[in-house]
Amino acid sequence: MGETITFWVLAVVSVSAALGLVFSRKAVYCALMLGVVMLSLAVLYAVQDAPFLAAVQIIVYTGAVMMLFLFVLMMVGVDSSDSLVETIRGQRFWAMIAGIGFAVLLALAVGQAAIGDPAGVTGANQRAGGNVPALAELIFTRHVFAFEVASALLITAALGAMVLAHRERTRPRPTQKDLAKARFVSGYPGPLPGPGTYARNNAIDMPARLPDGSVSELSVNRVIARHDVEDGRLPDDPELAEAIRQAAAEEEEHNASIAGPKEDR
Amino acid sequence: MNGAIEAPTIEYGQLMPMLLVFGAAVVGVLIEALAPRYLRKAIHVPVTLLSLAGAFALIILQAVRDGVPEQASAMGAIAVDGPALFIWGVILVLAFISMLLINDDDQFVAQAAAVPGSPEEEDAVAQGGAHTEVYPLALFAIGGMLLFSSANDLLIMFVALEVMSLPLYLLCGLARRRRLLSQEASVKYFLLGAFSSGFFLYGMALVYGFAGTVDLGGISSALASVGGQDSLLYIGVALLGVGLFFKIGAAPFQAWKPDVYQGAPTPITALMASGTLVAAFGAVLRVFWVALGNLDWDWRPVMWAVAILTMVVGAILAITQTDIKRMLAYSSIAHAGFLLIGVIATGDAEQNSGSLSGILFYLLTYGITTVGAFAVVTMVRDAGGEAGHLSRWAGLGKRSPLLAGIFAFFLLAFAGIPLTSGFFGKYAVFAPAVSGGALGLVVVGVISSAVAAFFYVRVIVLMFFSEPAADGPTVALPSVGTAAVVTIAAAATVVLGVFPQPVLDLADQAASALFIR
Amino acid sequence: MEPVEIIQHSGGVIGVAWLMIALPLLGAAILLLGGRRTDRWGHLLGVVMSLASFAVAVLAFVELLGMSGDQRRREIELFQFIPGMVDMGLLIDPLSIAFALLITGVGSLIHIYSIGYMSHDPGRRRFFSYLNLFVAAMLLLVLADNYVGLYIGWEGVGLASYLLIGFWQHKPSAATAAQKAFIVNRVGDFGLAIGVFLIWTTFGSVAYGPVFQVAGQAEQGVLTAIGLLLLLGACGKSAQLPLQSWLLDAMEGPTPVSALIHAATMVTAGVYLVVRSGAAFFPVGSTAALVVTVVGVATLLAGAIIGTAKDDIKKGLAGSTMSQIGYMMLGAGLGPVGYVFAIGHLITHGFFKANLFLGAGSIMHAMNDEVDMRKYGGLRKLLPVTFVTFFIGYLAIIGFPLLSGYFTKDGIIETAMHHSPVLGWLAVLGAGITGFYMSRMVFMTFFGQKRWAEDAHPHESPAVMTVPLIILSIGSIFLGGYLVLGNTLANWLAPAVGGPEEPIEFHFVTTPGIATLVLVAIGAAFAWMKYGRAEVPVVAPRGSFVTTFARRDLYGDAINESLLMRPGQWLTRLAVFFDNRGVDGVVNGIAAGIGGTSGRLRRIQTGFARSYALSILFGAAVVAGALLLVGNI
Repeated sequence: MGETITFWVLAVVSVSAALGLVFSRKAVYCALMLGVVMLSLAVLYAVQDAPFLAAVQIIVYTGAVMMLFLFVLMMVGVDSSDSLVETIRGQRFWAMIAGIGFAVLLALAVGQAAIGDPAGVTGANQRAGGNVPALAELIFTRHVFAFEVASALLITAALGAMVLAHRERTRPRPTQKDLAKARFVSGYPGPLPGPGTYARNNAIDMPARLPDGSVSELSVNRVIARHDVEDGRLPDDPELAEAIRQAAAEEEEHNASIAGPKEDR
Repeated sequence: MNGAIEAPTIEYGQLMPMLLVFGAAVVGVLIEALAPRYLRKAIHVPVTLLSLAGAFALIILQAVRDGVPEQASAMGAIAVDGPALFIWGVILVLAFISMLLINDDDQFVAQAAAVPGSPEEEDAVAQGGAHTEVYPLALFAIGGMLLFSSANDLLIMFVALEVMSLPLYLLCGLARRRRLLSQEASVKYFLLGAFSSGFFLYGMALVYGFAGTVDLGGISSALASVGGQDSLLYIGVALLGVGLFFKIGAAPFQAWKPDVYQGAPTPITALMASGTLVAAFGAVLRVFWVALGNLDWDWRPVMWAVAILTMVVGAILAITQTDIKRMLAYSSIAHAGFLLIGVIATGDAEQNSGSLSGILFYLLTYGITTVGAFAVVTMVRDAGGEAGHLSRWAGLGKRSPLLAGIFAFFLLAFAGIPLTSGFFGKYAVFAPAVSGGALGLVVVGVISSAVAAFFYVRVIVLMFFSEPAADGPTVALPSVGTAAVVTIAAAATVVLGVFPQPVLDLADQAASALFIR
Repeated sequence: MEPVEIIQHSGGVIGVAWLMIALPLLGAAILLLGGRRTDRWGHLLGVVMSLASFAVAVLAFVELLGMSGDQRRREIELFQFIPGMVDMGLLIDPLSIAFALLITGVGSLIHIYSIGYMSHDPGRRRFFSYLNLFVAAMLLLVLADNYVGLYIGWEGVGLASYLLIGFWQHKPSAATAAQKAFIVNRVGDFGLAIGVFLIWTTFGSVAYGPVFQVAGQAEQGVLTAIGLLLLLGACGKSAQLPLQSWLLDAMEGPTPVSALIHAATMVTAGVYLVVRSGAAFFPVGSTAALVVTVVGVATLLAGAIIGTAKDDIKKGLAGSTMSQIGYMMLGAGLGPVGYVFAIGHLITHGFFKANLFLGAGSIMHAMNDEVDMRKYGGLRKLLPVTFVTFFIGYLAIIGFPLLSGYFTKDGIIETAMHHSPVLGWLAVLGAGITGFYMSRMVFMTFFGQKRWAEDAHPHESPAVMTVPLIILSIGSIFLGGYLVLGNTLANWLAPAVGGPEEPIEFHFVTTPGIATLVLVAIGAAFAWMKYGRAEVPVVAPRGSFVTTFARRDLYGDAINESLLMRPGQWLTRLAVFFDNRGVDGVVNGIAAGIGGTSGRLRRIQTGFARSYALSILFGAAVVAGALLLVGNI
């Protein structure tokens, strides 16, 4: 009885969390929703006499994987959200049709099946003297090869991460002296002017005015400037607006130089 | 507590070919960690090639000395039966010659982490950086292929699927030139591969729900004993099928193939187009013949539709392609359709072994020709790397007649012209299919072959009867490895086209006892 | 005496007889694939491969000699070529080994000769690769144990011949000649192909053994049809009427090619085909055999007449080749006795005609590649070796008593005379004309006054060219006597083609024999009057209409043109017209339809991963739904 109640409660929680994961626009919310789904699964495992799986689910997935996920999100920037504008005509509509159709098929099939009483894992646990020994017996006898071969997967993953992310140093590390030299050669030895200095606003996207009253486009973050231009949030002051546009143009140029020419398909 | 767990028995002798490949991959990782940079390639090459050759020798030894095992190995996880040994041999041969291509300089990116076109990348190129990690990665993929084609339960099949695919996802993104295309291909392959693995896993869960076991033989016997849950089984089978169809590139799950084949470094494309296809067909046969052999009445109509759609889509879409690698990708889709004909042509034991032997032979002939064709593609270059666009191939026959002639020969083999291996391959698959009652499919197959022949011939016409462009691509002087690959592939295509009997006999012998359960 | 049973064989030299084919094929492959890297030693490799093949042939021959007569048909299995239809194998029997010896023996000599002849040609390696290819294909033709193998070899020699005639393809005449040879041969090959199809549908096999065993049980009409179709093939390859026109033009090829392919070996393939199939499809007295003899006699006369009017030394020899093969065909239509003389003549002809051609090559070598005999004259002093060997070949071909040609040609004439006096006397007449045109050739070339071009400085050829000449001329002297006297060849061939009950006796003094000699003498004397003693004009006189008739190859080309080519062109135009309007419309429509479908389908391939994922999801839903549906029905 208790199991049934837990199931229905958690079913509602986990399914709505899963839906929230899909439909939320903010990456951190998504990650947290995923955490909720995983936790509810863990509780369901525990209720169904599988304590080992429940613990692993919490420790590995909720604890390690989820946290890693969140770290990455934080590093990438919580605010950088992808454009959600669908460019392919009919994609959403047909995706919906296919998704619903598939779900209906599944529901039909599972509903049609005359499923007898579930055997549960209790019997198996008792035979082997506990859940963990029962699992161990399966993992280390019948499925030992799958278990061992999974190591190849882990090695590949580690190696792949190294290949994709590790950057070999191609030029010697600049010393303190090099850095100082470069700084003076650049013609701007001091720190860049902060935004908003000597300005009427203190917003981060407003260029600073230098002591002589001119506008410094160096003081705005180019990425932010680009967003300003794209979203049309330019200040009324033509001088300030021009500086922001310039910074945005630099950003565009930089992006274009990285992306290179688009390939035909 | 009622005592210790009995230690599992693992038949190391039978699994040695696969273990050798995995072992060499691990050694490769250690080389990456320990050997100085300038020595790595020099160590990797012999380790990789010797392990593949050694594994092949072990297979021969196993077949000759001990014969084919009659029971599944490693606690029933792996079936080292006749077809598995043949498929292993084919995969290792194809992997070996693909590896000769991978060996070639100038195929892989100097520094994968550097942003394409950035100064860091230029520095890395100037300093001759190279990712020697491709050797262990490729070995892991090959090991995964071996495991995938011989998996005797769904669990190990899934693990093998991932072991095979993960390194390939990575390798796809490591092209030296046109890196954005390559990275795009890699991400697409990864996303779609993960998506299809999800289907496979879900199907596996449903089938487990039906049969109570993931063992292929167990599922087969559950077909007879379990009642009332057929709908679970059907959905499960369909989803398992989706995962497998994705891997062989059957329509409508073929969309990734052209993009990925085009973007990936050509040697990796060669490995995927040959080895992965062979391994995936091994798995398809195991799932649909061993586990679901008694359900063939139900899956056959669906498979018919998939096979027809695959052949038609592959042949028709290939016509309007303008990139040589994309064209070969569509051709590979069409060939997957031809092979599915063999999978469908089941019947009694004799019929099955006939079909199986045809499929095995076809896999060998197609794989070798494919690797040869991609090897030729690596050799036709212009300033920006390989000259992929078909218009660049115009008049190649006048500039380097030998290479163009060999390529034309490969294309004719794809088309199945007599006196090439492709002819006997098609013959070997179509003949049992006709006797197995799949005449309609064979007719569609022959028509698709005719459509396909059109675009193969179009390339030949382009190469030999068009005026070469003034700034056309040059044919790079091949390295020893590439030259060897082209020579081996051409020789095999000729020999199997004129003198196929020994290999046909071998395939017959491998197929005679069918799969073990 | 019937042909003996074919025995399966393995081991020994015969067991590896395939090496005979494989070695030159390997040589050709190395030379073709090796490219310029093999330029320096390519010709040597070609010679070595040919010699090695000859060595295998000799060893196989010796092994065959060691067996008793009824054991001498050995078949070795190679591989299953088309499963359930053709098992590729080789039949080593007295007939095929005789051909193999001729092909590899004469072939090797010509290879050696070509080292010298082609020494200044930049394409020498390519030339040797084609020669090797030819030897391999020709050996496959004669050694195969089935009609399909024969057909492959048949096409192979056709290909090699095409490549070699057009070897100097920069000359438009050579390119045209190559195409002509190819196209005319296509007609014959088509006949052969249909013949082989008919054999397969009638007997359910294409291997010689089973086919010949059950051939007698087939309907007479079918047998005749097969015979005539095979004969059509033979006519094409052996330049017999009505498919003779290509051979004269084929002389555009390098002279060693003319000697090897268009005199000694390839053109005799038709004779081989008729003799090999003789017992089954050309039994004595059958319609097919009668047609063979008629074709033979017609060609031997036509060739001889063409030979009388040619001023080009090679074309004159080509006419003579046609004529001599006409003799062989005549013999091949006359049953076992005829076979012996036909094959005998084929072998001796292989020697003396190769001898004559290589002699002609040597003369051309000396005369700056001049082929017009009107610009020769008085060469016997300057080219002594060439003269002597050429003269021996000449004596052999006109049937000078006791030389090779005498025995074999008189044998054919006498057998024909027994068979039908009309055929016999026509053959005698042909021999007389041969006496005339061959004498004319010798007198115009070696006797009389010099009529050389101003820049000609005749000189004897190097040893690498003269030694093969000497060897061939020795064969031209003795081979005929050796083969015919004492029944050597008849006994040897009997296990393969059957033989008469009683040994064939060669009569030295017979009416036709004497008549032949007299006619030849008259012909030679006439030639002496006209070309030896009298002055030969450097520019050919207009001559009577008979001369023109002969010069124009008996209007063979004109007949082909007006009877076949023109109507053919009209037909093609008509067909093209309908093709453009009707058939092409349908084909183009289909092509456009497929192309359009392809273009539309291609748009589905957007390049976006999410769109691909959608197609996968759709596919999954459809597959699952379909399975549910099928399962629940």
